[in-house]
Amino acid sequence: MQNAKDSFYMALRTRLAAINPERTILLRGASRPGILAEEAEAPFNQLPNDVFVLRWLGLGVDMDLGSTMAAEQCEILYQTSGTQSFGGLDRGRLLSEMDEELVAIMQPFYTAKLNYTATPPASMLTKVFWDEPGFAPVVVKRDLLSRSASVMVYSYQEQGE
Amino acid sequence: MAMTWFSAPAPVARRVRAYFAPVNRTAQTPVLFDPAEQGGFSLDAPPAPWLSLGWIQGFTRKPISKTAPVLSGIPASPLEQVRETLEAQVSLEFLSWTKLTMALATGSQHMNLLAAASGAAASADGATAAAAVTTLSGSTATFVALAAADAAKFSAGSIIALDADYTGQTGFVGTPVSGAYVRQALTDVNYIRRVTFNVALVSQASSTGLTLAEPLPGGAPAAGSKLQAVTGFVDREGGSFYQEWSALFVMEGSQGERILFYYPRLQTMAGAQEAALPLDGKNKGGLARVLLKGQFLALPVTDALDGERVVCYRSFLPAAHALV
Repeated sequence: MQNAKDSFYMALRTRLAAINPERTILLRGASRPGILAEEAEAPFNQLPNDVFVLRWLGLGVDMDLGSTMAAEQCEILYQTSGTQSFGGLDRGRLLSEMDEELVAIMQPFYTAKLNYTATPPASMLTKVFWDEPGFAPVVVKRDLLSRSASVMVYSYQEQGE
Repeated sequence: MAMTWFSAPAPVARRVRAYFAPVNRTAQTPVLFDPAEQGGFSLDAPPAPWLSLGWIQGFTRKPISKTAPVLSGIPASPLEQVRETLEAQVSLEFLSWTKLTMALATGSQHMNLLAAASGAAASADGATAAAAVTTLSGSTATFVALAAADAAKFSAGSIIALDADYTGQTGFVGTPVSGAYVRQALTDVNYIRRVTFNVALVSQASSTGLTLAEPLPGGAPAAGSKLQAVTGFVDREGGSFYQEWSALFVMEGSQGERILFYYPRLQTMAGAQEAALPLDGKNKGGLARVLLKGQFLALPVTDALDGERVVCYRSFLPAAHALV
């Protein structure tokens, strides 16, 4: 299941870098595409602005199949308070931009499954696939607009996983 | 040692994509689809002459062939069974309204509403049309060369119908799809352009001609063909003409596997119907998407392989590395 989570994250990260290379985050001294897996970083006091944060929640498995299918629920959180140059008045526009980017990086709704513990990452036999995201209403907290989207990510367990 | 195969569960598919191709009505020849050679085609670029109808929903196959047992003995018990009738139906809903989807979802001719001549008397399927203009040499499937005065009659956003003049012939008419069957000679010189499927949207108009948003289904215009502006489309409940198409439906599974349903001959078997799909499931009285409903009867062909009569071919292309 970790391979599916890694593959999903890396697919979204690669697509985001292609769609909007300017959305980056400086993390541990390195500039990276502006998307991260919360469980793979040091705990945050507050989620970073203008970045997509993946949080893994529910898990279900169907073992009555030729290959066990795992369904992992991923919540993608993002928020913005706009830019200083516009005094934050562009926060609605920036949140819309992130909505559009998220819709774009979700497609196509599948990616190859790779084992990222190997160097270089090793291709596996199956694909990871997911459904359309469900968007939650915007939450307004002073000057901060935030939203989350939930997507169910499916994968088949391969032998040796 | 790393595994090189996996046991694939039943395919998980998001939706169904539909492709249609015109049956040659004069020669009664359906369009062939070879899943071995063509099954892996890009869903966005089907092999010619297949036309993409986009995603569909509510795709339902209904085999209604009847079998009967051959009884023997006392008391009678089944000795074997025979196929008494061969019949199948397909129903679906198109997610867009286009010339082609509308035509497929109607039981009769599908006509273009040609822009009317000034002061023409009203008619339920379009008044007498404004005069057609003649295409010039140098035209292609995406560019129609015209004289400057003729090109000035069109602008970006115009819809055009391009085909030959009607000259009194009978039989199937229209290029590249037979749009109607003329039983007795008519008087409307624009009749073929009324029923032709060779329509397109103009994306740009210049003094030399019209650039089209999509290629003409019939390819580069034939010499002497003419075009007219189209304001919309009309079909009728009734009539005696049945559209006939070859159809291909593709389900792509999550692991790259494909299920393909190839119907060599499909005829519309119901009149025009629509289905309303509420945009907000909690507000069924609010905005609704109007979907075209299609219901088709599958007609048989004789398979040259062994002489069997069949109505549909279902192919399965397994995912890479999946056990078979």
